[in-house]
Amino acid sequence: MLPISVIVDNISKSYKYGIFTKNEDLILSDVSLEIIKGKTVGLVGPSGVGKTTLAKIIIGLERPTKGGILVNNSNIWNMPKDERLKTLRTIQMVFQDSQGSLNPKKTIEQSLYETAKLIGIQKTDRKSFILEHLEKVGLSSDIFCRYPHQISGGQNQRVALARILLVDPEYILLDEPTSALDIAVQAQILALLKNLQKEMKFGYLLISHNTPLIKHMSDNIVALKEGSVVFKGPPKKYCQITTME
Amino acid sequence: MGSILEIRELSIVFSTVIGNVYAVNKSSFNLNNNETLALVGETGCGKSVIANSIMRLLPQNAKVSGKIMYKGQDILKMSEKEIEKIRQQEISIVFQNPSMSLNPLQKIGDQISEPLLIHKKMNKKDAFNKSIDLLRTMGFQNPSKTAKMYPHQLSGGMNQRVLLAISMTLNPSIIIADEPTKGLDNILITDMIEEFKTLKRANESSLLIITHDLSVARELSDRIAIMYSGDILEISETESFFNNPLHPYSKILLDSLPERGFNPPKGTSPSMVNIPKGCKFHPRCPYVKKECTEKVPSITSHNGRQVRCYLFL
Repeated sequence: MLPISVIVDNISKSYKYGIFTKNEDLILSDVSLEIIKGKTVGLVGPSGVGKTTLAKIIIGLERPTKGGILVNNSNIWNMPKDERLKTLRTIQMVFQDSQGSLNPKKTIEQSLYETAKLIGIQKTDRKSFILEHLEKVGLSSDIFCRYPHQISGGQNQRVALARILLVDPEYILLDEPTSALDIAVQAQILALLKNLQKEMKFGYLLISHNTPLIKHMSDNIVALKEGSVVFKGPPKKYCQITTME
Repeated sequence: MGSILEIRELSIVFSTVIGNVYAVNKSSFNLNNNETLALVGETGCGKSVIANSIMRLLPQNAKVSGKIMYKGQDILKMSEKEIEKIRQQEISIVFQNPSMSLNPLQKIGDQISEPLLIHKKMNKKDAFNKSIDLLRTMGFQNPSKTAKMYPHQLSGGMNQRVLLAISMTLNPSIIIADEPTKGLDNILITDMIEEFKTLKRANESSLLIITHDLSVARELSDRIAIMYSGDILEISETESFFNNPLHPYSKILLDSLPERGFNPPKGTSPSMVNIPKGCKFHPRCPYVKKECTEKVPSITSHNGRQVRCYLFL
């Protein structure tokens, strides 16, 4: 039996442009990779190569032109809508700009409360449920009444992580999760991500420009160039994409 | 080497609705002639506040005390007219976020020539030609074409180079760069470091670089000043700082670097409103002693380096 994983199976993605012409821009071409529970795949490549597009395809925000996303061996686009949405809940994403992904007009408590409500936690249990998850990311209830702009970048990133943990995911896509943070806070968030993975066996797809960071965090690295995979292998064998030209 | 800028016991307090925010506390440092000094610290530790105080660009709720001596004159005591002459002509500043610092409706060439028209009273044609020269110095392949473009037509890195060109227009003695690499990806950061090196070669200015990125500070600076929660904790020659950091905070900062294995420090920076008593770093310090919790240590010399810690008193 195949391991429990998310398989990106020969994905291609192109965008049509022009009203009268049928021109197409090929963004990704035959990209395959596998995110296994408890392991980290590092995705690297220069700006505009299609890393974030691939992440969007994996979480079902974009439909691939060709190929499929197999979650635990079934293709999400062959599932009925209800089942697809339920399956996709197991894959969550942390964005680069964590402050931007929280509602600026809502306190941290309100933002997290909304997620707890959506996943059907009873009203009386919501507060303790949220607190339990905040503690997992090293935050306390002091932060409840604050707004996103009143807390630091590192704290925002922790709140974004706590919100994802509420949904009880199996796989987490991390799109440049520390690029906006100071070096010391970056090290703290990376250690937190590693601990969470050890404890809860998350499968990570880590997108970053930062080669030392990718090497430090990943079990496997996939490098993209001009929309195609140019390297796939362990961090030890990875040399920076720029030297491969 | 003589100092061109001396900052003495500078304190800056903002009065806000949540209370007094102690952004900078009795900080002192010198910027020497033709030197690059990096002011390094975490986001929100007061680095940019120091930069803005040198340019006298702080908001009205800021209470500033101490001295900022430029060529023997205290900037804090200058009249508005005097400080206007200093800004741009003597000291220029490059703000973070290049795309936001340029006027989106004005062509690049016009934006570079503006200070020449105002301060040097040049005619439009000469100023435009000078701006083309400056763009060439900053590495633009086709400067006359770039001069006719708008900021949105250039990339973030190119806009940053335009800002550097603007900062050089009047040959200032000091250029302050506030987080020049924030939000840029690694390739652009490498470009930016090269551009600052070009700028240093083209111009004999002293540079004050404000950054939270230690690798940028290492590449560019001659000396480094480490700031934490409004206090300067250590000032050293850059190489000796990286080889042997003195202050415990400097050590944990270097340990969190990729090449040292991303070792995470414990705790977080204190609030600027409810500041801890004594040394501000003591709640996170592995060498904390009783005296650290009672009184702020003074900054002392240690083998030609300056450090604010009871371990070196």
